[in-house]
Amino acid sequence: MLTGFPRPLQRRKLVKVAVPKNTKQIQSMPAEARQVVDEIRHADIVVGIPSYNNSKTIGHVVRAAHAGLAKYFPSYNGIIINSDGGSKDGTPEVVTQTPMQDSQLLLLNTPMKPVNRLSFPYHGIPGKGSAFRMIFQMASMLDAKACVVVDSDLRSITPEWFDLLIRPVLEGGFDFVAPYYHRHKYDGTITNSIVYPLTRCLYGQRLRQPIGGDFGMSQPLLNRYLERDDWETDVARFGIDIWMTTIAVAEGFKVCQSFLGAKLHDAKDPGADLSAMLQQVTSSVFLLMREYENTWRGRTGSEPAALFGFRYDVGLDPINVNLDRMLTAFRKGAEDLGDVWKLALRPDTLAEVKELARTAKPGDFHLDDELWVRIVYEFACTAKSSRLERATLLKSITPLYLGRVASFVVETAEMGAAEVEHRIERLCLKFEELKPYLINIWFGETPAAAAPPQSSAPGAEQPEQMEV
Amino acid sequence: MIRTLEQLLEGVVGGIVTQLNNLLPPLIVAVFLFAVFFVAAVLVRWFLTKAVKGARMDRFLKEMGLSNMLADRGDVHTTPLVAGAAFWMILLVGALIGLSLFNTQLTTRMVEATVFLFPKLVTAGLIMLAGAWLAQFLSRSVLVWTHNEELPAPRRWAAATKVMVMFIAVVAASEVLGFAPHVFFAAFVIVGSGAVLAASLAMGLGGRDAVRRYLESREAAKLDREDEKSLWNHL
Repeated sequence: MLTGFPRPLQRRKLVKVAVPKNTKQIQSMPAEARQVVDEIRHADIVVGIPSYNNSKTIGHVVRAAHAGLAKYFPSYNGIIINSDGGSKDGTPEVVTQTPMQDSQLLLLNTPMKPVNRLSFPYHGIPGKGSAFRMIFQMASMLDAKACVVVDSDLRSITPEWFDLLIRPVLEGGFDFVAPYYHRHKYDGTITNSIVYPLTRCLYGQRLRQPIGGDFGMSQPLLNRYLERDDWETDVARFGIDIWMTTIAVAEGFKVCQSFLGAKLHDAKDPGADLSAMLQQVTSSVFLLMREYENTWRGRTGSEPAALFGFRYDVGLDPINVNLDRMLTAFRKGAEDLGDVWKLALRPDTLAEVKELARTAKPGDFHLDDELWVRIVYEFACTAKSSRLERATLLKSITPLYLGRVASFVVETAEMGAAEVEHRIERLCLKFEELKPYLINIWFGETPAAAAPPQSSAPGAEQPEQMEV
Repeated sequence: MIRTLEQLLEGVVGGIVTQLNNLLPPLIVAVFLFAVFFVAAVLVRWFLTKAVKGARMDRFLKEMGLSNMLADRGDVHTTPLVAGAAFWMILLVGALIGLSLFNTQLTTRMVEATVFLFPKLVTAGLIMLAGAWLAQFLSRSVLVWTHNEELPAPRRWAAATKVMVMFIAVVAASEVLGFAPHVFFAAFVIVGSGAVLAASLAMGLGGRDAVRRYLESREAAKLDREDEKSLWNHL
C-alpha cells in the first residue's frame, strides 16, 4: 500500500466543473449505460478498460482490477467499466463472467466485496479515445473521486497497479498519475523518439511514459476533459493518451508518476497500423502545441515529476526488430516522398535526409539527434499551418521515424537498460537545446533567426534523477 | 494617264481623310479614356496594396495547400494577387469601353465576344485551378498511402492520379468554354475505356502471373511479420 505522501498538499485551485446530465457529452452515451448509471447513482472509484477483441487477456485485467479494488480500497465503492468497440470474440462476456475467487490468494481477512462489472459498446468514431470518453462520462455522472484506465491487453498487470494509480489521487492530492514502467529498449519507440522528448521539452515536466495508456485521474481533471469539444478528432483514436497527458501538464494540474514494474502486453504485428498510429499521435501532439503555444513558449528546461512506487528490476521478454526492413523503408521513403517532405522540411534538412538515405548501410547507420529534432520541429510547424494536408503530411513521417528507430537500434545494440536510458536522456536534452529554433520557426520569425543551430551546447548530459 | 492617276490618288486620299474624320475623334477619346483607366488601375492597385493586409486569406491559402501549389516554397501573398487582378480588370474595362467608341461592326463584335466569354473564361479558370489543387492533393495522398502500404511504384500511382484528375478538369473546362467539347469528352471516354481494357488484357494475358507473384510476396511479408509478432509496441 502506498503511504507517505507529503501533507498538506497544495492542490491547484481549480474551478470544479459540474457536468450537467443533459449536455451533448452525456447524450452521446448509450441509453443502457445511462440507465445503469441512474440505477447505481454513485461510485468512488471507476476502473475503465477499453477493448476490442481482447477476450484472451481482458479476463486477467478484470481480475487484477477487482482484486486491486478489494485489497487496497475495501471501504470505497468501486466499479469496473469495459468500453468495447464491438468485439466479435466475446470480450464483453469475458468481462462480465470472469470468476473472481482470489480472496484466499490475496490473503484477505474479509471476503471480497462484490464490485460491479459493466460492459457497454461505446458510440462514435471507433477508437480508444471514444472508449475513454464513455468511461469518463460514466465516471463523471457517478461522481467518482478517482478514475483509472488500463489497457485490456496487459499481461503484467497486478492488483498493485490500481493502488499505485489511484492512491496518489485519493490521498495524495494529485490530479493525474502517469505510469512508469520497465520496458525493453526497443519497446515504445514513438514514446522514446518523439512524444516523451517533445512533451518534456515543451511543457517542462519529465513524464517518462506520457502515452503509456494506464492512468489515474481526479474528478476535476475528468470534468475538464469532458468539457472540451475536440473529442471527435484524432483524440478519438490513438491520440487520446497524449491528449490527456498534455492537458494535465499544460493546464497546471498536479501530475505524478507511479512505478508499475514491467509492461508486458499481448503480442501483435508491429507494422499493423503504424502510419495511422503515428499520424494520430503526432497530430494530437502538434494540435495541442498550437493550442498551448503561449504556455510552452516561455518554459525552459524541464524538471522531474514525482515518482511513487517501489522500484525494482524485472526481466523483460526479448523484442525482435527487423533492421533491414526499417532501413529499406527509410531509403525508399527518401526516393518516393521527397515532394511531400519538401512541404515540411527546410531545404538543408531535406538535403541531409536524402544524403543520409543515399549512403545508408545497416552496420553503421546513424541519424543524428540534431537532425531528428529538426525533422520533428519542422513537421510540427508545417502541421500547424496546413489543415487540409495535415494527415497526409504526418503519415509521410513513417519512413523517417523508421530511419530514426533503425539508427537507435544500431546504436544501442550492445547497450544495457541504463545506458539506453542515458541515450534517450541525451536526445531529450537535444530537444530542449533546440527549443529556440522551434520557437523561431513556429512563431514565424526571420529566416536568419530560424537557421538551424550549428553546434550543440556542451555538457548538459545528466541522466534523469528519479524520486522513488 | 496622269489624270487617271490623280483621280485614283484623290480617291485614296479622300478615303483616308474620310476614315480619319470618322475614326480619329473616337481614337483620341479612346486613348484618353484608356489613359484615365490606366491611372485609375494604378491608383486602385496602390490603394489595395496599402489597405488590404490579407493575412487571413494568406493563412487560408496555406491551410488549404493552395500556397504550395502556386509557389514552390508556399510564399504566396493575397494582397499583390488581388491588387494585380483589380489592375488588369480595370485595364480590360477601359480597353473595352475604348473599343466600343469606334462603333464599327468589328469592334462591336469584339466587345460582345469578350463580355460574353469573360464569365466562361473565369469559370474555366476556376475549374482548372480546382482541378490542379485536387490533383495535387489526391496524388500526394496516393503517394504516401502506396508507399506506406509497400505497393510497387508509388510515384507512378501518384502521377496517374494527377493526370486523371487534370484530364477531368480539362474536359469540364472545355465543356464550359464550348471549346471542342465533343473532342475532349470523346478523348476522355477513349482514354478511360482504354485504361480499363488495357488493365483487363494485362490481367488476362501476362499480368495475372505478375499479380499472383505480387500477392504471394505480400503474403510472405505478412507471414514474416507474423513471425515477428512480438511485444514491440510503438506507443
